[in-house]
Formats: sequence, structure tokens, C-alpha cells
Amino acid sequence: MTITSLRHPFGIFLWLMVALVMVYILAPLAVIVASSFGTTGYVAFPPQGFTLRWYEQALANPRYVNGFLTSLRIAAIVTVVSSAIGIAAAYALVRYEFPGSRLIESLFISPLVLPGLVLAVALTIFFSRNPIATGTDRLILAHLTICVPCVLRVVIPVLQRFDRSIEEAAQNLGASPVKAFFLVTLPVIRPGIFAAAALAFVMSFDEVEMSVFLASPREQPLTVALYSAVQLAFDPTLAAVSSILIMITFAIMVVHQVVSRIRSAR
Amino acid sequence: MGGALEPRDRRGLILPKWLPPALLLLPAALVFGGLFVWPQLGLFATSVASPPPIGFATYQRFLGDSFYVAVLVRTLSLGACVTLVCLICGFPLAFFLARLESRWVPFLIMIVSFPLWVSAVVRSFAWMVLLLRNGLVSIWLRDAGLAPAGFQLMYSFAGIVIALAQVLLPLMVITLYAVIKGIDRDLENAAMNLGASPGRAVCLVTLRLARGGIFAGSLLVFSLSISAFATPSLVGGATAQLMAVAIYEQTLEINDWPFAATISAILLAIALSVALVYGRLIDGRNVPVR
Repeated sequence: MTITSLRHPFGIFLWLMVALVMVYILAPLAVIVASSFGTTGYVAFPPQGFTLRWYEQALANPRYVNGFLTSLRIAAIVTVVSSAIGIAAAYALVRYEFPGSRLIESLFISPLVLPGLVLAVALTIFFSRNPIATGTDRLILAHLTICVPCVLRVVIPVLQRFDRSIEEAAQNLGASPVKAFFLVTLPVIRPGIFAAAALAFVMSFDEVEMSVFLASPREQPLTVALYSAVQLAFDPTLAAVSSILIMITFAIMVVHQVVSRIRSAR
Repeated sequence: MGGALEPRDRRGLILPKWLPPALLLLPAALVFGGLFVWPQLGLFATSVASPPPIGFATYQRFLGDSFYVAVLVRTLSLGACVTLVCLICGFPLAFFLARLESRWVPFLIMIVSFPLWVSAVVRSFAWMVLLLRNGLVSIWLRDAGLAPAGFQLMYSFAGIVIALAQVLLPLMVITLYAVIKGIDRDLENAAMNLGASPGRAVCLVTLRLARGGIFAGSLLVFSLSISAFATPSLVGGATAQLMAVAIYEQTLEINDWPFAATISAILLAIALSVALVYGRLIDGRNVPVR
């Protein structure tokens, strides 16, 4: 008798709980997607009728389109820069054993467990005193503080699992250390790097607190545009924008799953 | 050899051994020191500078004002309630996923963690739609006779708990899943063979062995819920009496930065001490992402 079988009361209880919790986790997203097609002039669930009008309006609204493009640009820059910084640091921490490397690792990762809002307030005070960057650059720098730790956390275990004798073999065959890294190590740990980069990208794209405090008013990221719009009105256009984001994310996840299935099947 | 980058360039020049790792760590150290530690110190300095040069007037104001003490208590109890809801909902799901023998498990885990990849603003918006006066959940509660006419969950403490627990639940499930997966299922089977009912076996064996993981997951969710901003401020409204919302109000609305810095420093101190306990419990590498 397995514990998850439906042949005893506990199993039935377990399945019931699981069904309820799954609904709890997923229903809100489903509600938003469903209500984005409703014909009422406010967001209503269950939706009435069917229309694509709100999608047309969302795509015609420069606030959301520009916000989307701004977020995309910020996230792309943050991803590239934080991946480069994070991979270099991860390599140093894993390959060179030196006293205190474990401590440095946990220190570098610590910004992730601290309140984003506090980081945002601290950085706002910091930038007002030290005008080292302006406009969108400030937000990009701010996002580095959380995206670099994020890359570190994903890449460090990947590097630890990497069999370093392959790297040594390349060096014994005459490759310079740098060449060995780019020709041997990097291709092997590529899936881990992709995972880290994807995570950094999503973190930057979805981030709210720092964006609210530091974004340039002329170049608002999408989360800021949504955050301020949601407080004002229950415009179905917002449901359409949210649904587009949900569907893009879902599509990327499905593609990622399928690709990794095909990879592992090979 | 060590396999590490050898400290020797093409011309055979020998570099000091510490140089390559130091150079590789430098950019990350600049980000950590310049954009994290330095601003946090600046925040702390701002909080202890009224009256200048050094004064604790803002701390006295916070602790002396019953309104702000209530805000602190409310924030901590929000953390406790959200953690409890996440545990009650998260444990059965995590247990089920860890014990289910099916090739669908990776897919189910993907579905459970999917909301983590969607912005908190979008998820909070969904809850606003459901919790408003004419939202489905509020209507259900009224129809079931559990709430008076005109009742809405939006802008209420319970509403914030419901929304925030849903936002953080995937993290709890992922943490507990890893822990339960590490517990040998034969221990439960042994208890059942010895006559314990399945429910009893889970309570006596799994729950007990998963204690450490349950505690770690709870600390993670607690720490994230007391510091969450987007969900409480949207579902609870701009006047929700919580630390994060108060910080926002003092900065962008009232422009009292020293006081905002003080509230931030207090919140930071709590989050940091929770994180330290958490770090002792779980190796930093096993922390689920976000």
C-alpha cells in the first residue's frame, strides 16, 4: 500500500488537500487570463462575453509598450553584466581555495535574503549623495546587487560538480588557462549558466521595489507602470497586459522543459 | 596543478598566486561593497543622525509612538499568519510530490513554481480582483453567511494573508519537497507495517524527521513576508499599517528620510537576525531561489 494511494482515508485526504492547494496556487493567474477576455468595462470574474479589445488597447498604449521595452532593455543589460561578474567570482571561489572563501560566498549571497524595499531606500539615499549614475543606469546598478548573488548561487554548485580533470587535460595539451576555461569549462557548464542568466533576467524584469524608487520618470519599467495603474483603476487593459506577461512566461517555461527533455533524451 | 588558472602569463612571467582570484573577485566585491554594504551603512548613518551629528530621536519616536509599535506587532503577526498558512498548505503538497511515483512529478513541480516567475504586481492584481467587494471570494464568504453584507476582504489583514501566502507558498513547497525527498520512505512503510495508520505514520515519522526543514522553510517565508512590499501595499491599500508600507509612506509621500531610514534599519535588523538563524540551519547553497 503506497501512502499516496486512494484506498485509505489518509490518501483521500491527501489528494483533496493537494487539489485545493493547487487551485489556491494557480487560480489567481487563471482568473486574470480569463477576465482579460471579458466585455465588461471593469475587470470581472467570471467574465462575460468574449473580446480582444483590451489586448488591442494594451498594445496601443505607449505606457505599457514602452514600459515593456524599457524592462526588457534593463533586464538584458543586467543579465549580461551580472552573469559576467557572477561567473568570474564563482570561478574564483570554487577553484582557488583560500581562507575565508566560504565566508565571502555567504556574504556575497546575503543581499538576496534582505528586504528589497530596504535596499531600495538605502540606494536612493546613496545615489542622492553620490551622483555616480543617472536615470536608468541607477536602476541597472541597483539590480546588480540582487542579480549577481543570484548568479553566484546557481553557478557555484554547478562549478563544484564540474569534473576539473577535463580542464587540466586541456591545459596539459597546451591550452592556456583562459583558453581552457572558454573552450572546455564554459561549454560543459552552459546549462547552469543559462539557468543563472534566465533567473537574473526574470529577477530584474519582475523587480518592483527598487524600480519604484529609482526608475527614471521618463523611462518607467513595466512593473512600475503596472504598480501605479493597478492602484488607480480596475481597467481590463491591465488584465490584458498581465495576461500577456503570464502567457510569455508560461511559453518560455514550456519551451525550456521541452528543450531540456530532448537534451536529456539524447 | 590544482586545475586553476595558473599564475603565469605567456611570457613566463610569474604573477603572485593571489592575483588571479583577486582580479576575478574584484567586480563582485565592488558591487557588494559599493552598492550594498556602503549604502546600508549610509542608511544606518541617516537613521542615527537626528539631531545631528549623532542622535536617536527617530528611534525614540518609533518606539515611543504606540502607532508604530502597533505597526511592528502587526507586521510580525502578518509574518506568523502567512508562515502558518504556508505550512498547512505546503506540507501536504510537498509530501505528495515527494512520495508520488510518477513521471509527472517534474511537470507538477514546474506548475507549482510557475507563479514565482510572474511579477508580484501581476499576482497581487489577481487577488485584488478576487477580494474586492464584487470579487468572487468576497461574494462566496457573504453567500456562505460567514461575512456581513458589504464585507470585502480587500484592504483587510485577512486579505493580505491570503494573497501573500499564495505568493510565497511555492517557496515553502520547494523547500519542504527537498527535505521530505531526503527522508527514506521505508521509514513510513515500516511504521505502517507495525500497525500505524498512514496519517499516524506521517505525523510520527515524517513530520518529526522533517522538523529542521520545516523550521528553515518557515523562517524563509517569515522573513520574506515581513519584508514584502508590493502585495501588502496593493491588497492592503496605501494605508495598510505594516513596516514596508510605512517606509514607502515616509519616503516617497512624506519625505521624512531619517525616519524612513530608522524604520528600514529596524526591519533590516529583524530580517538579518532571521536570516542568520536560517543560514545556520541550511547550507546557503540549498536555499531555493527567491
